[in-house]
Order: sequence, then C-alpha cells, then structure tokens
Amino acid sequence: MEFVCVNPSLLKISLSKEVYTIDVVYKCFYWYSGKYSVTINEGLSTIEIDLELGEGIQKVDGLIKRLKIDLIDFKTRDIVSKETVNIRELLVAKAFAHGDEFDESPPGEIADTPTNC
Amino acid sequence: MENIRNKRNRKFRTREYYGNSASDYHLLPFRFIELSESKEILVNEVGESLIVPRGTALKIAQRCIAENDPIIPDLISRFFISRKPIPELIDVLATRYRTKKSFLDSFTSLHIFVLTLRCNHSCHYCQVSRVTENREDFDISYNDIDLGIDHMFKSPSKKLTIEFQGGEPLLAFDKLEYAIERITRLNKDFKKELSFVVCTNATVFNTKNLQFLKEHNVLISTSLDGPEFLHDANRPKTGRNSYQLVLNGINYARKMVGHDQVSALMTTTRLSLDYPIEIIDNYLENGFNNIFLRPISPYGFALKNKTKNIYDDKKFLEFYKKGLDHIIKINQRGRYFVEDYTAILLKKILTPFCTNYVDLQSPSGIINNVVVFNYDGRVYASDESRMLAERNDLTFLLGHVSDSYESIFYGKKSKELSKYWSNESLAGCSDCAFQSYCGADPVYHYASQGDFEGFRPTSGFCLKNMGIIKHLFELMDFRKEEVMPIFISWISN
Repeated sequence: MEFVCVNPSLLKISLSKEVYTIDVVYKCFYWYSGKYSVTINEGLSTIEIDLELGEGIQKVDGLIKRLKIDLIDFKTRDIVSKETVNIRELLVAKAFAHGDEFDESPPGEIADTPTNC
Repeated sequence: MENIRNKRNRKFRTREYYGNSASDYHLLPFRFIELSESKEILVNEVGESLIVPRGTALKIAQRCIAENDPIIPDLISRFFISRKPIPELIDVLATRYRTKKSFLDSFTSLHIFVLTLRCNHSCHYCQVSRVTENREDFDISYNDIDLGIDHMFKSPSKKLTIEFQGGEPLLAFDKLEYAIERITRLNKDFKKELSFVVCTNATVFNTKNLQFLKEHNVLISTSLDGPEFLHDANRPKTGRNSYQLVLNGINYARKMVGHDQVSALMTTTRLSLDYPIEIIDNYLENGFNNIFLRPISPYGFALKNKTKNIYDDKKFLEFYKKGLDHIIKINQRGRYFVEDYTAILLKKILTPFCTNYVDLQSPSGIINNVVVFNYDGRVYASDESRMLAERNDLTFLLGHVSDSYESIFYGKKSKELSKYWSNESLAGCSDCAFQSYCGADPVYHYASQGDFEGFRPTSGFCLKNMGIIKHLFELMDFRKEEVMPIFISWISN
C-alpha cells in the first residue's frame, strides 16, 4: 500500500492486488467519488487510484488514515459477503417458498428425551 | 439491539456446546458500520444488531475471536455465525426474514384519490399546482372515481387505506361523499378492512362535512407548521390568518369527530430549521401526543421557491437531533410524546416486524404499497410521482384509470422501476449495515439526482437516513438507561 501526495490537489494510491480485489477497491472508493474525482486503473499486480480535488486536499494525513480504515472495512465486508452468498440465497428462497418446499427436518426425533432434563 | 458489555455472565450452556476452537464456525450474512472510534454496529440479515468493539467484524471474518470470548454465544444466538454450514434454526431465520418483508404480502394497500386541485391556501412549499377555489374543472370526475375504486378492490390486500387529497379535498366534498359511500356499499361484498383518511387544511369544516366524516370513521390529517408566525409564513392564506383558522378547525373537528381522530403534520422549511423547540412545544400546547419532524420534499412546485424551501440536508439533521433531544426531555418529565419518524425506525431496529411506512421499504413502497389516482384520471406510482407530473414530468405515470389493472400495476413502467426499487441491489446500499432499516426511493433519486438508482455519496435520502439511524444507535448506546424506556414505550403503543 503506497500513498503519494503528488501535489496539493492529487493523491496517488497504489494497492497490491494480492491484498485488495478490484471489487473491494471500487466499493471503497465509490464513497469518495462524491467529493473527489476518482480514477482507478487496474495493472498486472497493482491497482492505481488517483484522488483529485480541484480546491486542494485538506488534511492529507487524516484522509490517508480514513482510507486505510475504509479499505480494511470493505475488505471485511467482501469476505463476509462472498462467504455467505449461498446461505443468503437459501435463506431468501426459504423465506419466500410456498409451503414446506425448502423446510429442513428438525434435528433428532420427536421421541427424544429433552437433553436438559 | 443489545450491547454485549452487559452479557458477561452466561449460564445453562457448557463450553463444549460452542465447540473446541474459535475458528470452528461458519459466517452468516451480516453487515457492519463504524459507530465511533471504539465501537461498531453489526446488523444481520433480519435486522438484529449488536454494538461491539471496533474491529470485531474483522476478527469474526478472520476467525480471530478467542474461544472463550463472551461474544461467541451472542453471535451464535443472534445468527451472525453458525456452528454448522446451515444453522439448525435456519427456518426460524427464514421466518424472520419473511416477517421483515411481510409488507409485500398484501401488495397495494394505500390508495390515494386526488379529488381536486382547488385550494384556498397558497403555501410556497406546496408540491402540487393548486388552482383557485372556483375552478371545478380541476375536480376528479365521478367516472374516474368509479374506475379507481374498481381497481382498488382488485388489490389482494385485506386492508385498504383510502386517502383523499387535493388541493383541498373538502372543497370537492360531493366527490368525497360519493367515493366513501360507493366504497362502503361495495365493501359489503368484498369485506376488506377499510380505513379512510382525509388530508385537509382544516379551514373548510362545517357541521355537514364533519358529521359525514364522523359517521364514516374518517381520520382527519391536517397541516400545522408550528407557532403562528412560522405557520402563517409557510402557509399563507389570502385575507385571513391561517394559523387561527387551522386551530379553530382542529378544535371544532375534535369536538365533532373525537380528539384522536385528528392528527397533524408539519413541513420543515428553511425558516422552520431555527425553531425545532418552538414547533414541538406548539404541538404539545395544542394537545397532540406526537409530531413527525418531516423534511420538505424537493419536488414539484416546492422547487419554484428555492430560497424558502431548499436547504442543506445536514441542517435538517441538526434540526432533527435538537428536536429529538427536546422530545426525550419532555418524556422524561412524564409527558408521553412521540417523534413519529423515530418510532418507525425504532420498530424496524428493535422488533422483528416491518412497518407500513412507504418511504422506508425495500422493495420500495411505490406501486407495491401505494398508488395515486389523480384528479385528471391519470395513475401515478406515488404522491411524489404526481408532484413531478405537475411540472410536466410524466416519468412515473403508470397509465390512465381507464386502463386495465394489469397494465397499470404490472405494466412496462412498473417492470422498469422494479430494477431500482430494492436497496439490496443498489450501489452503496448493498453493503450498508442499515439496509434492513432503510429503503429504496427511485422517485426521490430521480427528482433530486436525475436517475432512478441514485448516487449514494451525495444523496440527501442517504445522508438523512444514515445520519438519523446512526444517531439513534448512539443514543441507545451512550444514553441507554435514559432513552431506552422512552423508546420502548413508543414502539409498544
């Protein structure tokens, strides 16, 4: 991860693709695109991002700190989202299924003795 | 919503129940957002939340939670993680998901009839194009009322709410009378649960119309913008002082139809932003038990007077927070008084249920919950849609009341809109922790940003709702003892 403040209006960021996927980068920088002009270029091993603000970027250190936190958060969201895609689909299918189409058999048998007794 | 700090002592279940290693679990769908530098909010797929130390979501995802961490049982019992790839109680979770989306079961329930564009007020924020009192050619026709009612009874919903709007709908009282009598007569066969609402400025009441409203159990919704100087500035009326007329009307209506049958709504103009306390106190003084701190809708003719009506959404957030704080103090002094928008959100955050509030639904309330039959026979996707139409933007025109039910409700326009009405699939919303509390609003985003999907980083809808929901979580965490009894009382009533 590399941050270079080229001039008062331009911050260049370089991220390793081994660490951050392009999906994570797009989702993270989407939220910066309201204030900044964001350019994302995908290279072979890195993703290069330009953040530009015509009037000049104030408090660059604070911005870099926020970016680092946001990148970790969006990477975490990506992990959870990708790992849970199937269970989420199953959940929605069950929720809107007619009758007992997707019902699971409850564990154990009706005649089971309650374990806490 | 529960703070795990208070959950350190666990009984009944042994360590073995939770497995032998911390990484021995599977993730369930959840989202998170920073609450403060030291805390974050986790929200699962059915809207259940936990406030946890910052970094917990990352630890959960990386399986770095220590085996004996007291959060583990919370995460399992609240469906953030599972010991099995498919949790044993997945059907319970599915039922809760279905419950959160149960507003979809009944399809369109709110049917708005715009009886006339005639009005005796000239409010600068009025979202529609009103005409003077004598222009009866701007009234809905009896035939269009009939056709609208026929469509309404085709709705699968067991409960139907019929809202009469204008202009000032009581200026077309004959049409209102006709519509209610016909609906009541036809309902002897349909047997739906009916609710009637009339949205009136409360200045044209008389014994005849109030007696009729009472006989048919019609709720009266009026507009009161706060103290006299503010109300009269927002809602000018030629010749007479609107505030006094409205108060006289409210009191007259309360006497005739019952105190609880009369409610009021306020609209926040730029002038209102400086007076949240005064507005709330005015509602209290006038015997109301609730207020809806409602921002102006940036639609239609409200845009013609930008200096009075358009303001920074951050200013509204400040107004809301200040107002809510004042309302909390009122409740602490023993007076039950509710902020309606907060109560809607709290119900979504703290209970397994959904609400019928159409602006905070996904799929969106347009068509799915509300439809508008306009005075000219045109059918629109929502009240806001007809406001756009009054400025010649027919984007949300679904058809004419003489068209078939299928072409209006399931036609090309509905299908096109459906691509943008679920926040689960919108950029910026799909990862948002507050997704299950919020909604999608293609009409707002089209009106304010020019496209149905909207651009979240600059969306006023997003800024307002994110800001309010986060503020509620802050209150429930940092001022828990103080606010929770009040908040619970709001959603229990």
